Amino acid sequence: MEKNFVIAGFGGQGVLLAGEVLANAFMLDNKNVTWYPCYGAEMRGGTVNCEIVMNDTEEVSAVNLKEADFVVALNQASVERFVSKVKKGGWMIANSSLAKEIKTRDDINYVFAPMTKMAEEIGNIKMTNILALGIAAKVSKLTSIETLTNALDNVIPPHRKNLLPLNLKALKIGYEYDLLHA
Amino acid sequence: MECLQKTKKKVLMKGNYAIANAAVMAGCECYFGYPITPQSEIGEFMSGKMQELKRAYVSAESELAAINMVIGACSTGAKAMTSSSSCAVSLMQEAISYASADELPIVLVSVMRGGPGLGNIYPSQGDYNQAVIGGGNGDYQTIVLAPSTVQECVDLTYKAFYLAHKYKNPTILLADGLLGQMMEPVEFTEYPYPEIDNSSWALSGAKGRNGRIIRSYAPLAENQCVFLNKLYGKYKQIEENETEWEEIDTEDADIVLISFGSPSRNVKSAMKICRKEGLKVGFLRPITLWPFPSKRIAELSKKVKMFLDIEVNMGQMLKDVKLAVNGAVPVEFFNRPVGNPPEVDDIVNKIREIMK
Amino acid sequence: MAVQTFKLPKSLKEGAKFSFCPGCDHGVAVRILAEVLDELGLTENTITATSIGCSVTIYDFINVDAIEAPHGRALAEATGIKRARPDKCVFTYQGDGDFASIGIGESLHCALRGENITAICINNTTYGMTGGQLGPTTLLGQKTTTSPTGRNVEYYGYPIKIAEHIALCDGTAYSARVSLDTVANIKKAKQAIKKAFEIQMKGLGFTFIEILSTCPTNWKMTPEQAHDRVRNQMMEVFKPGVYKDITAEKTV
Repeated sequence: MEKNFVIAGFGGQGVLLAGEVLANAFMLDNKNVTWYPCYGAEMRGGTVNCEIVMNDTEEVSAVNLKEADFVVALNQASVERFVSKVKKGGWMIANSSLAKEIKTRDDINYVFAPMTKMAEEIGNIKMTNILALGIAAKVSKLTSIETLTNALDNVIPPHRKNLLPLNLKALKIGYEYDLLHA
Repeated sequence: MECLQKTKKKVLMKGNYAIANAAVMAGCECYFGYPITPQSEIGEFMSGKMQELKRAYVSAESELAAINMVIGACSTGAKAMTSSSSCAVSLMQEAISYASADELPIVLVSVMRGGPGLGNIYPSQGDYNQAVIGGGNGDYQTIVLAPSTVQECVDLTYKAFYLAHKYKNPTILLADGLLGQMMEPVEFTEYPYPEIDNSSWALSGAKGRNGRIIRSYAPLAENQCVFLNKLYGKYKQIEENETEWEEIDTEDADIVLISFGSPSRNVKSAMKICRKEGLKVGFLRPITLWPFPSKRIAELSKKVKMFLDIEVNMGQMLKDVKLAVNGAVPVEFFNRPVGNPPEVDDIVNKIREIMK
Repeated sequence: MAVQTFKLPKSLKEGAKFSFCPGCDHGVAVRILAEVLDELGLTENTITATSIGCSVTIYDFINVDAIEAPHGRALAEATGIKRARPDKCVFTYQGDGDFASIGIGESLHCALRGENITAICINNTTYGMTGGQLGPTTLLGQKTTTSPTGRNVEYYGYPIKIAEHIALCDGTAYSARVSLDTVANIKKAKQAIKKAFEIQMKGLGFTFIEILSTCPTNWKMTPEQAHDRVRNQMMEVFKPGVYKDITAEKTV
C-alpha cells in the first residue's frame, strides 16, 4: 500500500513542519516514508507545499506524484492549486477560515474546518498547521494520535519544548474534530 | 539541526544533513566550504559539529579557496571535504585537475541544481558531464557516486571517503537538489571501511627523511608520459574493482530502463507498473557514474531489444549508454530538462509507446 | 676581525643548483630562508605550499615537505595544511603576481582569519617566468611587455603596496617589507623572516614579509643596475620597514 499527502498553505503557516511531523509518525510506525518540498513555479507570494509519501513495503517510493490521496490546504490558493491533484475518491481537507466552502468536484471527499479560528480559540493562531494535521491523520486512518504525539516530540527542537503542550492540544482538537459536521 | 553521531534507531533527516553527519562519522577531519543553495545545510551542520569535535571548519572566501584548502589538508593525509553546487563546482575544476595529478584523496559533494549559468535552484542532473568528464585540463578521471535515497547519501558518503583514500583519487558524491532537501528515515552505522595507511606519501615534515614534494609540474614530456600511463593503470584498476550498479528483472527483458540518482525511483516504479501489464521491462541504475557499468550494458545489449535512458537533463549519461551499446540496439531517450523527476505515468506511457 | 665561514644551510638540498637567472634575488631569498629554518630547528617540522611563477622551483632547492599549489591558491592550501596539522610550521613562498593579483582574495582572507602561517612574497614588479609582463606591483612609468610605453594610471591603474595592505588586516601579527640590495639589508631581511617564523610558532597570527627583488633578465639590466633600481625607484614607492608587529606593540 502506498499513500501520499500534499500539505499546502502560504509561507509562515508551518506547512513544512506539519509535513515533517507526519513523516516522522510514519517512520515511528515502521513505514517507508519520504518527505520533500514541492517546488512550484512561483517563489514568492505563492504557496508553500510539501509532499509525504508512505508505503508499507520495502520499496523506495517514487516522488513527484501526479495524484494525491490527501491534500491538506490551509488557504484558498492551495485549494485552487491542488484540488485537481486529489485522486478520485481521495480527500481535500481545507481550512475554511481562509478558503471558500465550495465543492468543485463530486468525485472526491471534502472536509472543511475553520482551522485558523479553532487555533485562535486555543490561544495561538500558529497552531493551525498541527490542528490541520490532527484532522488529516483522523481522516486518513493511517497513523494514531499516540504516534503523532511522539512524532511532535521528535520534531520540536529542545529550545522550543515549551510549545509542546500547546501543539499536543491542537493535535488533539484536530484529531477529535467532528468529521460528520465538516 | 541536532548534531548526531551513531544512531541505533532510524532518524528522519534531510539528505544534506545526512551527508554531513555521515562525513563526520567517516572521520572527516576538515570541512571547507562556501554557501550555495541547495546544499548550504551541509556547511551549516559542519560549522557546529566540527567545532564541537575540535576538528577543522573554515568558511572559505570562495569555492576556489575552499577546494584548495581541501587539497592542502589532504596533502597531509587528512580526511577532508567540501560541498557545493553546479555553477560553484565550475569554479573548482582547476583544483580537481590538480588533485587528480597530485593523486590526493579529496572528497567533493556536488548537489546539482539547474543550469547552465546561474540557472535556478530546482533539482537537476545537468552536472553529469561536469562530474564524470570534468572541466579541468588534461587527462584525468574522478570517481563519481550517485545516491538515489537519503540512506544512500549516507552509505555513499562513507564509500566516497574510502575510495578517495584507497585510490588517492578525487571522489565526487553527485546528489541533486531533491535529494539534498528530501527527508527520509536513515540509519548511521559505524564507518564500515578500513582506514588507509597514508604514511608513505603524506606531508608530515621531513623528519629523518628527505622532503617530499606533491607536484604536478612535469617539465619533461617523457616523465609526463610515464606518469599518465601509471595514472591510467590506476583508473583501469578502479574500473575493474569498483563499478557498482543496481539491476532488476533484466533476465527476460525486452527493454532495459537506465536512470541514475533520484529520478531512478520513478523509473523503477514505472518499470513495476509495466511488468504488471505484462511488458518485459528491466531496470539498471548506475551507482558509480565513473566507473560506468559499460561492460554490463554491453552484455545486456546482446540480448535485449532496446534501452530507454531517462534523465533530468538534455541527455548527458545518454552518450555513455550509447557508447556501451555501441549501435547493437536502439537507445531511446526520455527526459525533463530540469526540475523534479518525470512523473511515473509519463514514463510508463513512453515505455508503452516505444514498445509498440 | 672574526672570520665568518660561509656554509650551505642544512635546509637546502645537497648539491642543489639554483636555476634562477644570474643576479636574481630569489637565490639569496631562498638561502636566508633556509638559514632561518636551520637556526630555528624547523626543517623537519615544516610544510610549504609553493606557488606558480619563478618561485615554484623552491621545492627543488629546499629540503622540506612541499605541495605545489595552483596559481594564487598557495595560502588556501597552506590554510588546509595548518588546520589539518596545527603543530606544523607552514609557509608559502610566492611572487607578487601570485600573492597580490590572482591570489589577493586568498592572501587577504588568510590574513583576516589570522592563520598561523608565514607568507613570503617576492616583489620584482613583473611576471618574471612568463617573460616580463605588467603585474600588480609594476611601477608607474615602468615598461614591460604588456605596458610597452610604460605604466600610466589612465590605462593601467596603480600598483599595490602589499605590506601596507596586509598590515591593515586585524589577523596579521607581523608585516614587513625588506630588500636584498646590500649586505646590511640582507641581514635585516633575514631577521624579519626569523621574527615571522617565531611569531607563527607562538601562534600569534598571520605573518608576512614582502621582499623587494630584482629581475635583471626582464628589466634588461645588469645585476648592479638592477639593485640600483631597487634602491632608487622601488624603495621610493615601496618603502622598507615593519608595518605591523604585535609583539613590539605589546612591549611598548
